[in-house]
Amino acid sequence: MSTVIEQIEQQIAKLSNKAVRKNTGIIRTVADGVAKIDGLSDVAYNEMIQFPGGVIGIALNLGTDEVGAVVLGDVSQLKEGDEVSTTGKLLSVPVGKELLGRTIDALGNPVDGKGPLGAKETYPVEKIAPGIMARKSVSQPLFTGIQAIDSMIPIGRGQRELIIGDRGTGKTTIAIDTIINQAKINKVGAASGDPKFRPVYSIYVAIGQKNSNIVRTIAALEAAGALEYTVIVAAPAADNAANQYLAPFSGAAIGEWFMENGQDALIVFDDLSKHAVAYRQISLILKRPSGREAYPGDVFYLHSRLLERSARLDGKGSLTALPIIETLAGDVSAYIPTNVISITDGQIFLETDLFNQGIRPAVSVGLSVSRVGSAAQIKATKQVGGKLKGELAQFRELAAFAQFGSDLDAKTKAQLDRGGRIVELFKQPAFSPISIELQAVTIFALQKGYYDGLDVKKVTAASVSIRDFFATRKDALLTEIRTKAALDKDIEAKIVAALDEWKSTYSA
Amino acid sequence: MATGKPQIQQLARQLFTVSLVDGRLSNEQVAGVLAYIEKNHAANAVALLNAYQRLVAAEVAKGVAVVEHSGPVSEATLAGIAAGLTKRYGRPVTATAKANPSLLAGLRVRIGDDVYESSVSGQLAALSASV
Repeated sequence: MSTVIEQIEQQIAKLSNKAVRKNTGIIRTVADGVAKIDGLSDVAYNEMIQFPGGVIGIALNLGTDEVGAVVLGDVSQLKEGDEVSTTGKLLSVPVGKELLGRTIDALGNPVDGKGPLGAKETYPVEKIAPGIMARKSVSQPLFTGIQAIDSMIPIGRGQRELIIGDRGTGKTTIAIDTIINQAKINKVGAASGDPKFRPVYSIYVAIGQKNSNIVRTIAALEAAGALEYTVIVAAPAADNAANQYLAPFSGAAIGEWFMENGQDALIVFDDLSKHAVAYRQISLILKRPSGREAYPGDVFYLHSRLLERSARLDGKGSLTALPIIETLAGDVSAYIPTNVISITDGQIFLETDLFNQGIRPAVSVGLSVSRVGSAAQIKATKQVGGKLKGELAQFRELAAFAQFGSDLDAKTKAQLDRGGRIVELFKQPAFSPISIELQAVTIFALQKGYYDGLDVKKVTAASVSIRDFFATRKDALLTEIRTKAALDKDIEAKIVAALDEWKSTYSA
Repeated sequence: MATGKPQIQQLARQLFTVSLVDGRLSNEQVAGVLAYIEKNHAANAVALLNAYQRLVAAEVAKGVAVVEHSGPVSEATLAGIAAGLTKRYGRPVTATAKANPSLLAGLRVRIGDDVYESSVSGQLAALSASV
């Protein structure tokens, strides 16, 4: 009780006797989450507007005769003739490490029932992206824990890598695996006591998804011990379009706090297709002119200004973005997918055909690219995996001839065999990211022919066995690979000896 | 002929512009506009007049400060408020008093879209919102 009294006394002390000026307006219409307001002559674009009953809105249409404001809350209590006023503030969300492990909505309010956030700072939801001189080239790796990606489509800290594919091809799974892998790396790094170790914190923004999917994702992160390093921003399908429109920007603001404070963060936007749809809905209700597929003319700017906020800053931290786009029937040439492909620094394309064939993750190596490339790879991965992409490309070209198995020359058969083994090697179950040192060992074994004597279908099981063997008996060697990040002759000899030891005990 | 809402709004704005002389509303011009509407836009007169009325009311409100008070307020106070707002906005402002017991004490001044809150009830509302 004394704390409450002190709180009230502090508030009374803050109150000034000076007259407070407000700019006001009158609601003329409220429909579909948008209020049309007469007055508000001094309102600024994106300014927060105070509605009756504690409801907040933001001014999105500044017309000659009226202001169009999106209402971020319950519109059922609003009516024509209600007075509204400007707040003089832009929409901001709480930021800071206090948000880790918490689930919040697009406005920064906790929705997980764990009490107040306790955040001390707020950042504006809309912010201009860092300029050219503030940035630094991407050169530090961000390991997803997915072999197909880390070896052939490497991602760096500060990069924007799009995950694109049809529904049910494993896009969210790749993102969640990446978040889980960051948590695993964070724990190993913290335990090592290395003062140079930089953890990566994650932000998962769920836009327009089913609540059941969001719950399942949170449960998966919690089970993997990753939730303590993650902030969840939830704008499910049941939320109004305005909240779904704002959620990615709120997530970006949270990520920018880490970046500005010299730390590294990863943000997943799942997914920007639904984000574009929500923005289209708001724009149509605001009577803005529509263009292709009824999207507003600035739908490109919607995503470009969001994704440009992810960067690596000189002398500070980084924010890596994994936006997700859902395609229809594999059409990557549609409007929104081509927009986001042109904005990002590469894409990971997931194919339904590969998924149905059992190749999971269903990464299409031919269509996927990382524009940062090997600049974001450690030397160990380059040494063992540098030629894989080319070998897979050759395999794909020759695969059409596989049906004539008896008529192929020995070299072609060898290439097909090799490609088949690489494809089997890269199969990986969901929510099971693999550390980079284990990936290096697994692919090293491929390059040295340790899978050659096995049936192609048994390569996956053999690689699992190798990883288990190294994880349980060769931990020191793995630590050496991790810290040196390269395979010198000494380490290669130790790996060969360990693989020989494994082979002597392994039966397929 | 203006039929849709945007066209009516545009026409109302044009008629409002005509109603101004040296930046201020002219009674003669307003009377002329009303006659014009009656003669030439009888079909859409209601919508057009409503839109025109809102623009005129907003313009009038910019020149009249409504001083809401709960206790007595003197003519000198009203004159001082009018002078202060005239200086601030750079246009002639007159002040009118309006009793509002719900303020408890202090004043609330409305001019155009601006509200100057200096009442006890306003401060209590701000206190309850912040706690």
